[in-house]
Amino acid sequence: MNIDEIFDFTSFTIDREPHIILDATKCVACDNRGCVNSCPARCYSWSEEDKKMTFVYDGCLECGTCYVVCLRDAFTRWRYPRGGCGVAYRMT
Amino acid sequence: MSKSYQAIVIGAGPAGSSAALAMASAGLDVALVERGSFPGEKNMFGGVLHRMPALEEYFPDFWDRAPLERHIIKKGVTFMTGDSSFNTTIEAGSFDKPPYNGYTIFRPRFDKWLADEAVKAGATLITRATVEELVKTDGRITGVTIQGRSGQISAPIVIAADGVLSFTAKKAGLRQPTFDPGQVAVGVKALIDMPREMIDERFGLVRDQGFANEFVGCTDGVRGGGFLYTNYDSISVGLVFHLASLRTSGKTPYDLLNAFLEQPQMAKMVCGGRLQEYSAHLIPEGGFDMIPELVGDGIMVAGDAAAFCNATGLNLEGINLASQSGVIAGKAAVAAHAARDFSKRGLSVYKKMLDESYVIKDLKLFRKAPHMLHNNRIYREYPEMMCDFMENIYKIEGAPKNNVSRVFLQSATKKVGLGKLLADGFSAWRSL
Repeated sequence: MNIDEIFDFTSFTIDREPHIILDATKCVACDNRGCVNSCPARCYSWSEEDKKMTFVYDGCLECGTCYVVCLRDAFTRWRYPRGGCGVAYRMT
Repeated sequence: MSKSYQAIVIGAGPAGSSAALAMASAGLDVALVERGSFPGEKNMFGGVLHRMPALEEYFPDFWDRAPLERHIIKKGVTFMTGDSSFNTTIEAGSFDKPPYNGYTIFRPRFDKWLADEAVKAGATLITRATVEELVKTDGRITGVTIQGRSGQISAPIVIAADGVLSFTAKKAGLRQPTFDPGQVAVGVKALIDMPREMIDERFGLVRDQGFANEFVGCTDGVRGGGFLYTNYDSISVGLVFHLASLRTSGKTPYDLLNAFLEQPQMAKMVCGGRLQEYSAHLIPEGGFDMIPELVGDGIMVAGDAAAFCNATGLNLEGINLASQSGVIAGKAAVAAHAARDFSKRGLSVYKKMLDESYVIKDLKLFRKAPHMLHNNRIYREYPEMMCDFMENIYKIEGAPKNNVSRVFLQSATKKVGLGKLLADGFSAWRSL
């Protein structure tokens, strides 16, 4: 399984309005950044070079891992997508 | 859009739909609010559906009506290292006779069916509706608003069955504002298509028989474990990790899942299959100590939202507890309507009935299990010890042998250490 190809095997209806908003400035001082490795959908990536956290919500599986592991209370918003949007499991 | 009901249930999972079913069957006008475009769309689990006493009360023919996959006749535990594995399997005649002990299911199918049963009993299902805020009147919860929709849905009782993160319980001030990563696990799962005959032959099954296996030692030292379940035409393979351990490990769930699927013994089991779907979900694994306040003025909490999940390391139960707590919450709502008392005191009968049920009794009994499972040695050293021991037992090399206890002591000393072995054995005995 290649996580880069998540859209090939899991369905999403992506809302224009993000359901998670990250205040990435808070991630700069974080000494753990457990979200980067713990997120099962690899929505978070940290660039050591730019000292910058990038977050994309497109492939989010709405599991809540980032919400639980974040040490910096870095979410301006963390809610579920609008009704009918987000991940759609078919047969799991 | 503004409407009034006698009760609102947030979340059409096993807890919510069971609550709606219980209330609608007793004649209450119930709204069952679900954020997915259909119930079950957001749900996954890595488990087996065990006996469902709460639902069997409403449908004596539950097991004939529900959309199930295979019934489990064979259960195994595998102690795994990077290149070896030691299995124990129990296949019992009684597991192959109704009433069956457990089934594999697909959540999008099962949850939808259960919600439809609640609708047949008279509940109103509102899909594509993510609850935004709780409406309060004089400090009591009296309704909800929906994201992106105007107006509100009102009712004197709200049942929060919105899953492990339960923002409803948070907004009602019933759960702690933050989670302890030591009490939460994440599960990831690959659904792998495989022809039915291949599954039957590979796992030694006939008719609708199914196989369920748990794995320890397959998480590269991260606290957690693996599972493999057979459906009719597919297998579900996945891993579960304690978040406190995963967070600091630097390892990713998908890399570990790939490594698990590529482990030599595992690779033979999944070979010939095709990946169909990848999913992830959190599991409340804190047990009894994680349970939030269950009742407030106008509100009750059920299912995963109430952390009703029993993960002892041997059995994993959640859906049965969810459904049982949902039915009990539904009955409490019916009683509250009869007494016209929706205050915390009026709804406290929910807590009382739960205390008397297996839900709370079992969670109390296994209260210490989550702590025992925080022992890192379980996830690497012990599986290595088991495999090393069995390997040495069967190794015949033309050199003089040691007796079995000596071989065991050698493996135990090498992989774990005797003092730790004794201490861990004692703590496991006490918690299970």
